[in-house]
Amino acid sequence: MKMEEKPLSGPDNTRLEALIQDIYSELVEDACLGLCFEVHRAVKQGYFFLDETDQDSIKEFEIVDQPGVDIFGQVFNQWKNKECECPNCKRLIAASRFAPHLEKCLGMGRNSSRIANRRLASNNNISKSESDQEDNDDLNDNDWSYGAEKKAKKRKSDKNQNSPRRSKSLKHKNGELGTSISLDPYKQYNYNAGISFESLGPNEVRSLLTTQCGVISEHTKKMCTRSHRCPQHTDDQRRAIRLRLLGPSVPTLPDADVEGDSFDVPDGQALLSCLQWEDSPDISPTDSASSKASTNHSDSRRPKKKKSALSMNSGGGGVNLTGVIGSSAQSNISLSTKKKKPKTAAPSVSSIYDELN
Amino acid sequence: MNKESRLKARVNQKLTETGERDRLKELLRAKLTECGWEDQMKAQCKEVIKEKGLEHVTVEDIVLEVTPKGRALVPDSVKKELLQRIRAFLTQHVS
Repeated sequence: MKMEEKPLSGPDNTRLEALIQDIYSELVEDACLGLCFEVHRAVKQGYFFLDETDQDSIKEFEIVDQPGVDIFGQVFNQWKNKECECPNCKRLIAASRFAPHLEKCLGMGRNSSRIANRRLASNNNISKSESDQEDNDDLNDNDWSYGAEKKAKKRKSDKNQNSPRRSKSLKHKNGELGTSISLDPYKQYNYNAGISFESLGPNEVRSLLTTQCGVISEHTKKMCTRSHRCPQHTDDQRRAIRLRLLGPSVPTLPDADVEGDSFDVPDGQALLSCLQWEDSPDISPTDSASSKASTNHSDSRRPKKKKSALSMNSGGGGVNLTGVIGSSAQSNISLSTKKKKPKTAAPSVSSIYDELN
Repeated sequence: MNKESRLKARVNQKLTETGERDRLKELLRAKLTECGWEDQMKAQCKEVIKEKGLEHVTVEDIVLEVTPKGRALVPDSVKKELLQRIRAFLTQHVS
C-alpha cells in the first residue's frame, strides 16, 4: 500500500527525520515504562531486593581476581603433591596413585580379581618351573613392571593350552628343534617382552639363541629378541653371549667342532657325570620331563662355572656322542665326584650338533 | 498539520502491521540490557524506592523519576542503530 504523500525532497527530509526521531523516542519510552512496571511489581511483590543479602556475606563470596588463584580463591593443583595414608596397608601413597592402589590393596574393583586369578594361575606353574618371581606385592603397585607384563603374557598362554595354535607357535619358535623340546608355554610369549635369561633352562636358552640375537642388554638385563642380523648388536656380542650361557663349545653354530678329538676317552665318564642333576631340590620333575636330555635348568645362572666343565664336554660334542648321550640321557645320575661344576650342557651341545648334521 | 499527522498515523500503522514495531522493541530491549542500561536503571529505581520508602512507592513515582534519566542514559550506538533501522523501514515503505 503506497503512501499518497509526495516523494522525498528537501523539506520532506527534515520531516522524515523528525518522524524518525519521534518513532525512536516512542520506542525508548516504551522500554522505560516497561522497566518501571517490572520494578514496581517486584517491589510490591517483595522480590525486588532478594539478591541483596547482608554485607558480610557479599564480601565473603566476592569473586576473587588474583593471579594464581581461581575465582573462589583456591589454589590450582595444590593437592598434586600430597600423599595419603592408605587405611589398609598404612603406606603413604601419592594422591594421583591413591585410587588404583586402594583398588588393589582392598581387593575390590574389576582389576584386582583379574590380577588375583592370574597370580593363582601363574603360581601353580611357577612352583614347577623355577623362575624367579618378584614379590607379588611389588608387582601390584607397579603397573609397568616386567613382572606384570610377564603375567599378562602368561595369562594369554594359559588360554591357549589345548588349542592347535600352541603347537604351531612352538614349532615356529623352536626353529629346527622340533616339538620334542617343548618350552614352557608361558615362556613362549615372553619372547615379545624380552627374556630374562636367568629364568630359563639351558634347553630354552639354547633354542632361543639359535633363533634370536640373544645379546643381553645392559639396561634391562634382557636378551635381545631380534634376529641374528639384528643391527643393534654385533656378531662378537652374540658369540660372547652364547659362550657365556652355553659354554665355549657353542659360540656360533657353524663353529661346532672346536676342541674335538683330544677328549675322546675320558669324556665318556666326564660326560656322564656332567649329565647329572646339579642340585636336586632345584629341579622339578616337569622340567626334566619336558626335555629329552636331562638338563640342568639352573645352568644359565652360573655362567662362570660352565667353562671348565664344558671344555671337557666339547670334545665329546665333536665326536659322535649321540649314542652315549642318548643312553645316559634317560637316567639321572646323581652327583658324586663333582660338586657343583658339572653342567649339563653336553646334551644340549649334542642336540645342537644333531640339528646341524 | 493534517498531512503530517496523517503521515504519522500511516507510518505507525505500517509499523504495526508489518510487525516492525515489535521487532524494534525487542531489539531495543535486548541492546539496552546488553550494554548495562537496564542495570543502571534498576539502580536508579532502588534509589527512588529507598527515598520514597518501600511500602508507599507508586508507579507514577518511579516513572516520573526514572524515565528522563532513562532516556538520557541510552548509549549513542544503540540510538544510532535504531534510527538507522527506522529510516530504512520508512524509505522502504514510503513511496
